[in-house]
Amino acid sequence: MILAFSLAVAVVFGSGVFLVIQRDLLRVVVGIVLISNSASLFIVAAGLTRGAVPIVPLPGGDGASASDPLVQAMALTALIITSSVTALLLSLIYRLYVSHDTMDIEDISVAELREAEALERKNRPEIEENPEKGPAAEELEERSR
Amino acid sequence: MTDQTLLVLPAGIPWVLAAVFALLDGRRRWVGRIAAVGLGVSFVSMVALALRVLRDGPVEVVAGNWPAGVGIVLRADALGVAFAVVSIGVMLVSLLYEVSLGMRSRTFPAVVLFMAAGLTGLFLTGDIFNFYVFFEVSVTAAYVLTSYRERDYQVRAAFIFAIVNLFGSVVFLIAAASLYHVTGSLEMQTVAERLGETSPNSAITIAVAIFVAFSLKLGLFPFHFWLPAVYVGSHPPVAAILSGALANIGSYGLLRFGGILPDQLALGTYAVLILGSASIIYGALQSISRSDVSEVLAYSAIGQAGYILLALGLGGPVGFSAAVIYAVVNSLNKALLFLVAGLRGPLVGAAFAVGALSVAGVPPAVGFIAKIAVFKAALAAGAGGGTAGAVGTVVFVTVIFVGGALSFVYMFQIYQRVFLAREPQGGHVEKPSPRATRALVGVLAALVLVFGLWPEPLLVLGEEAAAVLTGSPGDVSGGGDSP
Repeated sequence: MILAFSLAVAVVFGSGVFLVIQRDLLRVVVGIVLISNSASLFIVAAGLTRGAVPIVPLPGGDGASASDPLVQAMALTALIITSSVTALLLSLIYRLYVSHDTMDIEDISVAELREAEALERKNRPEIEENPEKGPAAEELEERSR
Repeated sequence: MTDQTLLVLPAGIPWVLAAVFALLDGRRRWVGRIAAVGLGVSFVSMVALALRVLRDGPVEVVAGNWPAGVGIVLRADALGVAFAVVSIGVMLVSLLYEVSLGMRSRTFPAVVLFMAAGLTGLFLTGDIFNFYVFFEVSVTAAYVLTSYRERDYQVRAAFIFAIVNLFGSVVFLIAAASLYHVTGSLEMQTVAERLGETSPNSAITIAVAIFVAFSLKLGLFPFHFWLPAVYVGSHPPVAAILSGALANIGSYGLLRFGGILPDQLALGTYAVLILGSASIIYGALQSISRSDVSEVLAYSAIGQAGYILLALGLGGPVGFSAAVIYAVVNSLNKALLFLVAGLRGPLVGAAFAVGALSVAGVPPAVGFIAKIAVFKAALAAGAGGGTAGAVGTVVFVTVIFVGGALSFVYMFQIYQRVFLAREPQGGHVEKPSPRATRALVGVLAALVLVFGLWPEPLLVLGEEAAAVLTGSPGDVSGGGDSP
């Protein structure tokens, strides 16, 4: 049983990490959800004991043989936190998608660099006198290779 | 007022207010002002609690009148209140700063209050899982704060921040579950007592997981990669809150769990010391090579965190108290510098210079006291160790000194570039910032100087906090308050 649980936790965590290192922001969010869920699975595994349903261990009854209710409460709390943070993350990437029309983190950072350069050129006209390639142009060139 | 109410008030007030303010429009002036008053009341009750704790020893309440051992324990001891007072203070100043600049978002006051509630709860809890919940409350609020003003790079920074910190939270959650599994308890003191009987293998794994989780929060050297991206784009008060209040979670967590897992900390001393030294040198070198103010401050935060880790690794009562003092002083410095960086006008340069002196550890600023404390810890650690101890002392004193000298260089480099430039860039004269914001920054700078000249309260706080960690009952009579 312990082996089954540790394998499950490992597989879920590993898939999550694989998704987090992708470029697509939506995949990153799904990855972090998987990682969080592997933690919930771990909590449940940490309190794995056999016993009766732990709703009301009556005093004097066989309360000792009830299974541990605390881990279930902990896992539930962790799940709630995960779901609310996921909502926040999704709203953040929606905000980025609206302004850039893309979910790819590299496209977004290149677009940002270009904007920053445009702003710099507007504020400091002396830069235009020696037309040098800015970091955004370099980045684009590098990626096209 | 009973101890019970005093313990619940600092977290309770901002929590209730935050729920109310979430429904109100924060851009209205009166909303921001009431929120600041609420946070101010919470701060005052926090200070009252701190005084009570320093005078009479820890205050403890079991939530919901459950018998001890069943219910969740709320405990205020010197370590917790030290961090709570400085964090709430920094947040209060930042909120006032933003109120006088004018809010740009309807959620800002509510989010700051939520974060205050989370932070206070976290510093005043005696239960590991409760710690995790409060920790999530405050970092979730921080994700929202990072995206404040909604520029694209700020939203992207918030996303990076959220992903990296969620990863840290998961690692901590796994460590908390493992602690529960091996000790059968979530109450910090019980866990500390029972950990001695568990197998050292599992304890050391847990200790490493906890160390990674909090180092990620604090932004120590190998875990710092997210920090510059987040601090550079942030609006000044947000950066001040993140660096002056939220980063305290990392240092508090390292100290608190260092007290719970003392054997594992002793085992990992060398790793901790090396990482701390690497952090100091790396942060200082990176800061020198940067030109943007917020970028320099971001890398400087990495270096300053290294001092806290170094003091923690040196250990013992002197080392722990140095770590606490350094963490408190670092919060003040960072809040002051990040807030000043966004301002222009008379006296702003002077306030920045005070902060810069404090980071470099030059008297009369309070940073001097903190640096001296770490120096003392290095000397004390080497005193009983023979040749190896002497060599270690020399190495650490050198690292501390070099770090200090380098921070002097980078702080005054940006001082020169930003505040001494005669010709304003672009030919136009910059408008001075509102008087209220400059006054706030002045108050912070004055605090830095006052504690530098009259360090007794800080030293007492550090000693009491260290006594909590080493388990020896500290001198609770509260003497030494008079100069």
